[in-house]
Amino acid sequence: MAGVLEIRDLHKRFDTHHVINGFSLDVAEQTLSCLVGPNGAGKTTLMDLITGRLKPTSGSVRFHGDELTGLSENDIARRGLGRKFQIPAVFKDLSVRDNLTVAYSRHVNPFINMIRFSDPAMNRRLEEVCTLVGLHNRLRVEAGLLSHGETQWLEIGMVLMQEPRLLLLDEPIAGMTEGEIEKTAHLLRKIRRTATLIVVEHDMGFVREIADVVTVMHMGTLLAQGRIDEIEANPKVRDVYLGTEEESA
Amino acid sequence: MSSNPYHDKRCQWLMYLVFFAGVGLIPVFIDDAFLLNQFALYGVFGLLAVSISLCWGAGGILNLGQGLMFGLSAYGMAMTMQMQSQDPINNPIPPFMLNNGLDHLPWFWSLFSSTGGGIFLTLAVPTLFCLLFGGLMFSARVSGPFFAIISLALLSAVGTLVLDIQPYTNGANGISPPMPLQIFGAPLDPYSTSMFWVVFVCLCGLTVLAKLITQSKFGQIVHALKNDPERVRFLGYNVALYETLIYTLSGFIAAVAGCCFTLIVQYVSPAQFDVAFSITMVIWAGIGGRLSLLGSIIGALLIQGGQSYLGDSFLNSWMLILGLFFIVVVRFLPRGLAGLIESVLGRLRTPEPAAHEASAALTKSGS
Ligand SMILES: Nc1ncnc2c1ncn2[C@@H]1O[C@H](COP(=O)(O)OP(=O)(O)OP(=O)(O)O)[C@@H](O)[C@H]1O
Ligand SMILES: [Mg+2]
Repeated sequence: MAGVLEIRDLHKRFDTHHVINGFSLDVAEQTLSCLVGPNGAGKTTLMDLITGRLKPTSGSVRFHGDELTGLSENDIARRGLGRKFQIPAVFKDLSVRDNLTVAYSRHVNPFINMIRFSDPAMNRRLEEVCTLVGLHNRLRVEAGLLSHGETQWLEIGMVLMQEPRLLLLDEPIAGMTEGEIEKTAHLLRKIRRTATLIVVEHDMGFVREIADVVTVMHMGTLLAQGRIDEIEANPKVRDVYLGTEEESA
Repeated sequence: MSSNPYHDKRCQWLMYLVFFAGVGLIPVFIDDAFLLNQFALYGVFGLLAVSISLCWGAGGILNLGQGLMFGLSAYGMAMTMQMQSQDPINNPIPPFMLNNGLDHLPWFWSLFSSTGGGIFLTLAVPTLFCLLFGGLMFSARVSGPFFAIISLALLSAVGTLVLDIQPYTNGANGISPPMPLQIFGAPLDPYSTSMFWVVFVCLCGLTVLAKLITQSKFGQIVHALKNDPERVRFLGYNVALYETLIYTLSGFIAAVAGCCFTLIVQYVSPAQFDVAFSITMVIWAGIGGRLSLLGSIIGALLIQGGQSYLGDSFLNSWMLILGLFFIVVVRFLPRGLAGLIESVLGRLRTPEPAAHEASAALTKSGS
């Protein structure tokens, strides 16, 4: 399998605080990787570095062989990276439908967009995405009025509207009910058939259900990587992560 | 499902049609030249209101310095008109320059010697300025109150400069071209019906254009950008470019307003760069409803109308009254008068589903 994302010796320092400390990772095509790690391990910072929100202190991030570091957020997104934020970021004043249509960013030229009033290809994509995330009967609702779970689905839907090759989802099931989590697991497995996913998640039950590969991050470094049963049996991981989870539970 | 006719695009266009048809009938009923001239001037205020609504309402960019674009083009037009009455050979230099001790025509004045070139520059200079200044600011991610303050500071700097370089601008006295603009071989009399139509066509055309743009994909993206520019960036759009363009478009409309202003009053002075005037424009849109282009126009008409009727008796306290009114609107009607209409229409329509069911029940029982 070809490598979609190659991260090499990535460092990010905030003043003296070394948040990402020599992190390397390879992600293969059409896999669903889960990124786990204790609070403050640097998972969100890693996503910020990949998507251009932050510039790394050193190191490289390659996507299908192209270097991403130094590119702007919008250029990186244009290359096929879609991101869902840890704190769901939808356009609260806009209807669900408008949130999804804005996210359809195949055409970014502002002059052409000034005279674009309808777009059949977009409507087809909207139909597909609605079927996937199941917001059909909520299209006219203002996004600010959605429930937690629906907001998460909307943002996943927005990422899908971008038709990305790689999806980075930061804690997609936060705030969801059991039933919603089940639906989301199903949804992510469906997306995996055509794209690559990296999902940041704390819920090990959910990770067990969806992950092809699990990556454990600790203090900005890669602690372990492998199948879920390998990870759960790994004493280092139990020590820093799973152990603490049991304690706090 | 969406029961509020305020949000219905067809209803919105119908309102535009009614409004502009009504305004278009003015010359049919009014043949008082002075009144027509006043209405044309109100059209200029309407244009400025549209420009603010586009930038602030649609794009979320609060611009307290719109008078800069307005003033620059008002001066450009005055220069064009002034140069029309200079003779290139016998009398190339405007009288005020001679009075200020200039013995040659400054190079930037000579660019306005031809009418076509002058009008082109009048519109192009403020527009290009917006493109450059906006591009610089927005690519550095300056936004919100910072942008508002910088635009205000810039306006007052240029206003002071215009006042200071008296030999070139006639300072505080301003420029009063001796004759109306000669165009296509005839004068455009500020008190004529033609003048009214020129402003009407600009206002109607640019408002419709602005409305179309807000309804396009571009408008949708700009609307989203107002919610959360960061998120839009991650969707793949170049946010700075979109912001610059909406700002430039708004600046262009203000420039058209500036042109029309000088045509109508045949006079321009540093008062057009007055900070209070630019803030008044924002108040029009705030009171009328910045999210609605038409609401903003009506806000401008109401407030300027109010000022000319009441302002004479309250001249000194007018700004104070306006300020208080603005505070009340911002506090109780954040979407302005247009927002009030929106919520009233929304409330009127709420009982509709029940009425629908009742009539459905009736037809059932009837059959
Ligand atoms: N802009 C910043 N300046 C300084 N420190 C930062 C900044 N952003 C993040 N950090 C620090 O970096 C560390 C990692 O943060 P990050 O948000 O990446 O963790 P995380 O793994 O996503 O945690 P969580 O599971 O809580 O979401 C934290 O200690 C945080 O305080
Ligand atoms: Mg995080």
